[in-house]
Amino acid sequence: MSERDVSRELAPVKVTLDVNGTAHRLEVPAHRTLLDAIRDDIGLTGTKKCCADGECGACTVFLDGRIVNSCLVLCAEAEGCSVGTIESLSVGGLTDLQEEFLAAGAVQCGVCIPGQVMAAEALLQTNPTAKPAEIREAMSGNLCRCAGYERIVAAIQAAAKRRGSSR
Amino acid sequence: MTQYRRPDNVEDVVRTLSDAEGNGRLLVGGTDLLVAVRRRPLDPLVLVDLKAVADLPPAIEVTEAAVRFGPTATMSDLAADSRLAAMFPALVAASRVVGSLAIRNRASLIGNICNASPAGDTAPALLIYGARVTIVGRAGERTIPLSQFFVGPGLTTCGPDEFVLRVDLPRPADGYRSAFERLTRRRGVDLATVSVAAGVSAEGSITLGLGAVGPTPLLTETAAAVDLEDVDAVEQAVKQLIGIATPISDLRSGREYRQAMIAVLARRAVSAAARSVGTKGPST
Amino acid sequence: MTADPVPPERGAPSGHGAESYRAIGRPVTRSGGAERVTGAQSYLTDLVFPGAAEVAFATIPVGCAEIVAVDTSPATALPGVIAVVTAADLPPSASRFGISHQDRPVLASGTVNFHGEPVAAVVAETSDLARAAADAIEIEYRELPGVYNLADALTSDARLVQDPSIRPRDPLNDTNVLETADYAWGELEPEQARTHLIVENTYTFPMVTHFPIEPGGVVAAPTDDGGVAVYSPVQHPYLLQRIVADLTELPLSKVRVVAPDPGGGFGGKQTPRYEPLLAFLAIQTERTCRLVLSLEETFQLMRRSGCRIAARTGFTQDGQLTFHELSADFSIGAYADVAPRVMTKGSYVGAGPYRIPVVRVAARAVLTNTTPSCAFRGFGAPQVSWATESQLDAGGRQLGIDSLEMRRRNLVGVGEAFICGDHEATADGRWHESLERAAELIDWSEPVTPGRGRGIAVGIKPGATSGLSQSLVRLLYDGSAIVYAGTSDMGQGARTLWQQILAEELGVELGRITIISGDTDVVPFDLQTSASRSTVFMGNAVLEACRDIRLRVRRLYAEATGIDEADLTDSPGVMIGPDGAMPLVEAAQAALGGLRGEFVGQGTCRLRGVQGHPLGGDAAFYEFNCTAVEVDIDPDTGELLLTKHVTVGDVGTELNPLQVVSQDEGAAIMGLGHTLMEQVLLDDHGRIQNLGALDYRIPTFNDVAIEMVSDSIENNDGPGPYGCKGISEGALLCTSGAVGAAVADAIGVQLRDLPITAERIWTAMRAADARSAE
Ligand code: FES
Ligand code: FES
Repeated sequence: MSERDVSRELAPVKVTLDVNGTAHRLEVPAHRTLLDAIRDDIGLTGTKKCCADGECGACTVFLDGRIVNSCLVLCAEAEGCSVGTIESLSVGGLTDLQEEFLAAGAVQCGVCIPGQVMAAEALLQTNPTAKPAEIREAMSGNLCRCAGYERIVAAIQAAAKRRGSSR
Repeated sequence: MTQYRRPDNVEDVVRTLSDAEGNGRLLVGGTDLLVAVRRRPLDPLVLVDLKAVADLPPAIEVTEAAVRFGPTATMSDLAADSRLAAMFPALVAASRVVGSLAIRNRASLIGNICNASPAGDTAPALLIYGARVTIVGRAGERTIPLSQFFVGPGLTTCGPDEFVLRVDLPRPADGYRSAFERLTRRRGVDLATVSVAAGVSAEGSITLGLGAVGPTPLLTETAAAVDLEDVDAVEQAVKQLIGIATPISDLRSGREYRQAMIAVLARRAVSAAARSVGTKGPST
Repeated sequence: MTADPVPPERGAPSGHGAESYRAIGRPVTRSGGAERVTGAQSYLTDLVFPGAAEVAFATIPVGCAEIVAVDTSPATALPGVIAVVTAADLPPSASRFGISHQDRPVLASGTVNFHGEPVAAVVAETSDLARAAADAIEIEYRELPGVYNLADALTSDARLVQDPSIRPRDPLNDTNVLETADYAWGELEPEQARTHLIVENTYTFPMVTHFPIEPGGVVAAPTDDGGVAVYSPVQHPYLLQRIVADLTELPLSKVRVVAPDPGGGFGGKQTPRYEPLLAFLAIQTERTCRLVLSLEETFQLMRRSGCRIAARTGFTQDGQLTFHELSADFSIGAYADVAPRVMTKGSYVGAGPYRIPVVRVAARAVLTNTTPSCAFRGFGAPQVSWATESQLDAGGRQLGIDSLEMRRRNLVGVGEAFICGDHEATADGRWHESLERAAELIDWSEPVTPGRGRGIAVGIKPGATSGLSQSLVRLLYDGSAIVYAGTSDMGQGARTLWQQILAEELGVELGRITIISGDTDVVPFDLQTSASRSTVFMGNAVLEACRDIRLRVRRLYAEATGIDEADLTDSPGVMIGPDGAMPLVEAAQAALGGLRGEFVGQGTCRLRGVQGHPLGGDAAFYEFNCTAVEVDIDPDTGELLLTKHVTVGDVGTELNPLQVVSQDEGAAIMGLGHTLMEQVLLDDHGRIQNLGALDYRIPTFNDVAIEMVSDSIENNDGPGPYGCKGISEGALLCTSGAVGAAVADAIGVQLRDLPITAERIWTAMRAADARSAE
């Protein structure tokens, strides 16, 4: 290691990507994950990092319309992609889903919550009439150590109901 | 330190791999690869992203005689495809339990088999359907049955400057039925402790694909037809078939439990397959 | 506070009822909730520290080794490396530190005592560079025969985890036993005579880790006045401040601790570990130094002690307990942290909330070469409860008495002693009500579907035994208010409760109350956030500060208006004068007049310890919970499906039903973790095999019971504001006992080792089949 020129090996990759509607041009090391780029290079810290192994869902973002674990995507891979983070949801105030999270008592320490909200948003978009068992299945990649699972399921159901009745 | 390449044609992929002198790693979903990269950020790996390669086969192509998967087919693509669900229910069931929804949106089918984990979820199903793997390298393409693809845990016959271009599944014959069973430590997202895909033909021959009970996913088939209505006969046949399993003890389970569970799951998978509605063959 | 003097009907809601309060008892949504659902909440690693240097640790891949040599030159030579520090580079004041035992080194010195213990620290310009440099450090070591489990640690020729010189005056320093606790009462002989059945078993409880979704980290920065500021999501900022000040030889006033809200604490973020090191790095490099932990590193930073409990229990023919003997060994890890206290307090209630004439509890905190264990929700009680609850069921099964009936016959009534001897403890709640409610909610009297089993268990945990919380409240001229309260808000929603108390007492609107916490420069002293104490201790301090303000408003109002103070009375939120009632905030404004200004109220809640008490004092309250579950067991695979999970807590008063239910469910589900799936596994070298999220399984959405019911008993009988008690640990105290009983009910065999995995159930069923075939 000592003989290697670390700075040369950290030669950056140039990446252009769209985050929440804003274009960003970044130069990052090849191994930089999309998660770290969003948090450290772009400065949007609403997306959280826990396991960095794709197991907890704290880092959930939308990538070209589908949710992914941003810890398992390289920033370089996101070239030309559009990324949606938790910050994009509530530009005009809390969403119905976010309101229901609060009303249901689903928020404890809160650190998993941005990821939960993103995963729940994706679920409501793809299966607006999900039953509790389907909600649990779809959400089971999002860990909550405070274990607000029952409350989160209730929040998603309530939001689904609101969206259903407003359609 | 890790490097990143994004070639745009197959030839360039092969060249990049061979330039990397054994350090090249194909990147599609990255759901296994990046877990490894995080643990060894200083390894001089060259990550070769296939997502911009223009001349790859399409993700999923369904023809009269077969289904073809290209490198970019994700688990979510498989899980959502109703044509596949009718023909290859065990494969679709397996694709639906790989990781979480967010993982399935990224994880690729071909990546899953190239990872060559003995516990890989889709391999047992692909095996029973007679999947064929086409590998491309400097010397051109070669096609082998999936059963010859796996060499050991994490090892395949795919050379350092080759990659899997596609996987082909022939349409099952008339009356062929199949099912998938899996055992995990918890009910939410988990790696398989044991998994089994079972296929039964109209004539009553049984094929099993076994996961996590040997150094590679295993394929085994009955020599003669079995009366699927006869519980004892099925039990006997299954017992014989799973004789090829050589489970070990690891973090997820002890050897003895695995050995016993492979029998339970195999029995369940065979009976679920037998009870299910068969597929129609290509000629109809 | 008015207590309900009439005993409520059994099973009927017995609470005070929210009607009589304006804010208390209402489902007020979480303070800080909007920030948390939008991602705006800043946890430690979300804070920006311009120009901060990054820290990484060098470790070795074994759990016990002598460090022979450390060559840092390959790291120092790398570009971007600011400093490489080993124990030898620390100042002499950087001695070992700790809470009760000063045994933890700032950096490993001489030996590595557990897997992941840092040997050297690198400070570099970026985290990539820091990591690369840390990996470049060459550590020469000689692996030693570490003791990685209780059996090895307790052999007569076991290697000592700690050199005797670390605790020179301790008579046990030539063993791996760090501390012992013994509780005993009653005469054994007469009770043995009326004993009909003796049950004797050994139980184990695994090492588990907190797995906070925020792994966290530490940032330390030199300050302009020659001091240091330490940022850490720590539950006890004032304790951290004291330890850093001691080690750096700085006055308290020059050590500022800023504690952003923890993203999950559960006890794992109470005590200082890497903070002193980061303070030294910052002082030495004159740079802001930032350490961001990975989840894997938290496994090497916090865990619950594993436990082995041998139990011998006597019963009369009709199921009454005659005696109960426990010997509990806690595997606490390489350094003390607060584990001796966990052992002492957990085993204190080891015999459970029962009427037992004779009890003998002998517990030991045993050092092993593993991650130092610390506080973890339940604080030692779940470990011992697992054995005691299982013993009750084992006895009941042999006697043909069901789990509910066993508890009915042995559980103490209100005021009755369950700990006897010199320092008796009596039931401070009507615990039978929780038992009956849970039984009712699980339909105990209905027959169980074949293949299923039902279990019920109770758990108890002493709350804080001493404590000090101080609070300041400022009622501003415009009727808004600021509360200064040191309690760390890690998910229990403490701040919401302070808002509710202010809204109740002063009539200030919830949205106009700001809570300030987590900064030792600004906020008055609070001993700690632990033992579910905050609602009671800080709650009372805030309440007192509010009442102090009410008094001051009344006085000044009298002075300003010329009304005789005797003609004024105040009650929550209002001032009543000769012309009737007016909102307190209006009275306050009138009193302040043209000069404006504000009212400042101060509140203190102090509970002094008791000399000679084995816990140092009587518990301020007991958390009591009854859990009942129904399980379905797959006869072929042993897989367990939780069909129903009921938890009932004795909460005193629900200050906020939303928070009560979320804390209760959260604890209950966390309890399923160590009951069904969690365990830290070590290899022969003491390495954690399941290091990280891939192979350390915690409950997911899909692992929760198909039906979950959380309920509370409210008798307004707690010592906290409005009669409340602490609530956030109860529901995991006896999860294991309830599930264990349900499994035994379903398969006819009792499991004694946690976690109760499918494999263990299958193995037990098969062994039973083999026995019955004989
Ligand atoms: S941090 Fe990405 S899944 Fe855990
Ligand atoms: S709210 Fe704390 S981890 Fe989910």
